[in-house]
Amino acid sequence: MIAGNSTKSGGPAVRLENLDKYYGTFRALRNVNLSVERGEKIVVCGPSGSGKSTMIRCINRLEQHNGGRITVLGAELNDDVGNIDGIRREVGMVFQHFNLFPHMTVLENCMLAPMIVRKQPRAEAEVRARRYLEKVRIPEQAMKFPGQLSGGQQQRVAIARALCMQPQIMLFDEPTSALDPEMISEVLDVMVTLASEGMTMICVTHEMGFARRVADRVVFMDAGEIVEEAPPEEFFSASRNERTQRFLSQVLGH
Amino acid sequence: MEMVVVAPPAPGRLEDLKRRFFATPLQALLSLISLAIMVFVVWKLLNWAVFSAVFTTSGGPEACQAAAGACWSVIAARWRIILFGLYPFEEQWRSALACVVVVVMTVLSCIPAFWTGRRIALVWGAGAALYYVLMKGGVLGLAYVGEEAWGGLALTLFIFVTTCLIGFPLAICLALLRRSELPWISRTTGLVIDGVRSLPLISILFTFAIVLPFALPQWLQGDKLYRVILGSALFFSAYQAEIVRGGMQGVPAGQEEAAMALGMSYWQRIGLIVLPQAMRNALPATINQFVISFKETSLVVIVGFFEILASGNAAYGTGEWRFAYVEVYAFIAFIYFIFVFSLSRYGAFLERRMAVGER
Repeated sequence: MIAGNSTKSGGPAVRLENLDKYYGTFRALRNVNLSVERGEKIVVCGPSGSGKSTMIRCINRLEQHNGGRITVLGAELNDDVGNIDGIRREVGMVFQHFNLFPHMTVLENCMLAPMIVRKQPRAEAEVRARRYLEKVRIPEQAMKFPGQLSGGQQQRVAIARALCMQPQIMLFDEPTSALDPEMISEVLDVMVTLASEGMTMICVTHEMGFARRVADRVVFMDAGEIVEEAPPEEFFSASRNERTQRFLSQVLGH
Repeated sequence: MEMVVVAPPAPGRLEDLKRRFFATPLQALLSLISLAIMVFVVWKLLNWAVFSAVFTTSGGPEACQAAAGACWSVIAARWRIILFGLYPFEEQWRSALACVVVVVMTVLSCIPAFWTGRRIALVWGAGAALYYVLMKGGVLGLAYVGEEAWGGLALTLFIFVTTCLIGFPLAICLALLRRSELPWISRTTGLVIDGVRSLPLISILFTFAIVLPFALPQWLQGDKLYRVILGSALFFSAYQAEIVRGGMQGVPAGQEEAAMALGMSYWQRIGLIVLPQAMRNALPATINQFVISFKETSLVVIVGFFEILASGNAAYGTGEWRFAYVEVYAFIAFIYFIFVFSLSRYGAFLERRMAVGER
C-alpha cells in the first residue's frame, strides 16, 4: 500500500497544511504549515508548551488534528484505521521517556513489531534486530531487560526498536531531555550517524549543537505557531525575529 | 566492577535472643509469660488432635466419644460423603478421578511452559471434557449420574474452576469495555459492573437458580448447576474487572503510544503490551479474588447443592456421629487450607518470577 507506492510517488515526505489542534478550548496548534522533503533533517525547537511535540505527534496520529491536512509519503492521514496503521509502519518514533516494553528483553523489544506487524519470520527479525543493536552500539545488552540498562542505553534501544521496522521517516520527541548529561552525547552520536545515512528526520530537541551540526532547517515554534524556519547558520546568527532572539538567549545564554 | 560487601558483625544466637526478649526484667517477665501460654496452648491442641485422639473405626462411635481427644474415626468412617457427597457409592472412584483431573489441569496451567494459547486450550479442553465424561457418565459404559447427585469436593472444585474459567475472560472484556472511548459503552459497562457488585452473591445465585427458569424459555435454561455457575462467574467478573482496570491504569500511557507508533493494532497492543503489564500490577489483588471465590463456593448450598461444606454437614448430621462435628469441620478446614495456601504460594511465585523483568 503506502510502502509500495511511496517510493514511486515523488513529493515531500511530510506535508502539513493549515494544521489546527485544540485541547478542549485551548488552541495548541495554529495554522501550521510545514513541508519536509525526503532525506531532509528538521530540528524543531521552541519554549515548552509551544506545540512542538503536539505537531510531530499529529504526524503519526498519536494526536488527532482538528483542522487542516497531513500528508505522509503521499498518503493523506484520515480516520481510516488501515491508513493510520499503514503510515505508522513507515514512521518511526522515539520518545522522551523511551517507552521500552519493560516485560520483554531488549531483543524482544526490537523483534516484536517486525514480527507481528510486518509479519517477518522470527529468524529474519532476530538478525535484523541484532544488526540494529550493533548499529546503536549495544549488541551485548540484547538479552537484558530495559530496567537493567541506563537511560542512554534505553534510548539507544528505543532508536534500534524503531529502526527495526525500517521506517522511511523518524520522529524524535525530545529524545535527550530525560537523560543525565553524560549520556546525552551517546544518543546524539547515534542520531548523527543516522542523519549521515540519509534518513528523513524530524527532531524536537533543545540540543542546539546537534541542530547546528545536522539540521537542514531549524523550525522555531511559539504559542502553537511556526514563527521562523531557516537553515541553522542563518537561524543562529542572523535571526531578526524578537521571539526567536529571546528564546536563543535563554537556551544559549549560559 | 566488583563491590566489596562488608557485613556488620553478626551477634551470636544467644546474644540476639537476649537482646530481643530479655533486655529488661519486665521484658523478660512478659517473654516468659507469653512462652508459657504458647506452650500450654500448643500442648493442649496436640494432646487433643494427636495424643489422646482416636484414629480407627474399630471401637465404633461410642468408644470414640468416650475418648478424651479428637475423634478422627468420623473422618475414617465418613470421608466419602465429605469428598463426594451424594454421588453413588460404587461410582465414587469416578468423582475422585475427576478431582484429580481438575487439580492436574490447574497445576499444568500454572506452569509457565504451558502459557501458549494452544497448550492452555488443549489442557483445559481435554481436562473439562474428561471431567464432564467422568462425572456425568452415560457413555463408554459409565453409568449416568445427573448433576443433582454431584457433591463434595468434586463439586466445589468444579464450581470454582468453571467460575474462574468463565469469569476471568469476562472480567477482561468488561474492563476493556469500561475503558472504551465511547461514553455510552463505558457508562453502560460501569453500570453493569457496579450493579452486580452492589448485589449480595446469595441473591444472584438465587436469581439464577430459581427465578431465571420463569423468565427463560425451556431450551435456554440448561441445568440448574450451570445457571448457578454462570451467576457466580458474573459476580466474580464484576469484581475482577475492576481489579484488571486498576492494573491497566498502572501501565503508563507511553506504553500504548509506543506500541501505536510501531503500527500495532488495538488487539496486539492490548494483548501483548497493556494486559501483560496490567496483570502484573493486578496480581496480588487477583490472587485475593481467587481465594475469596474459592471459599464463596460454599454459598451454593442455599440453592440445594451439596458442595464440600454441606457434605460435611451431612457426614456428622445423621445419627451416631452427631457429636463429632468439630473434627469434621477441622478436616474440611484443612482441605480448604491446602487449596487456598497453595494458591497464595503460587501467587508469590508469580510475583517473584515477574520481578525479573523489573529493575
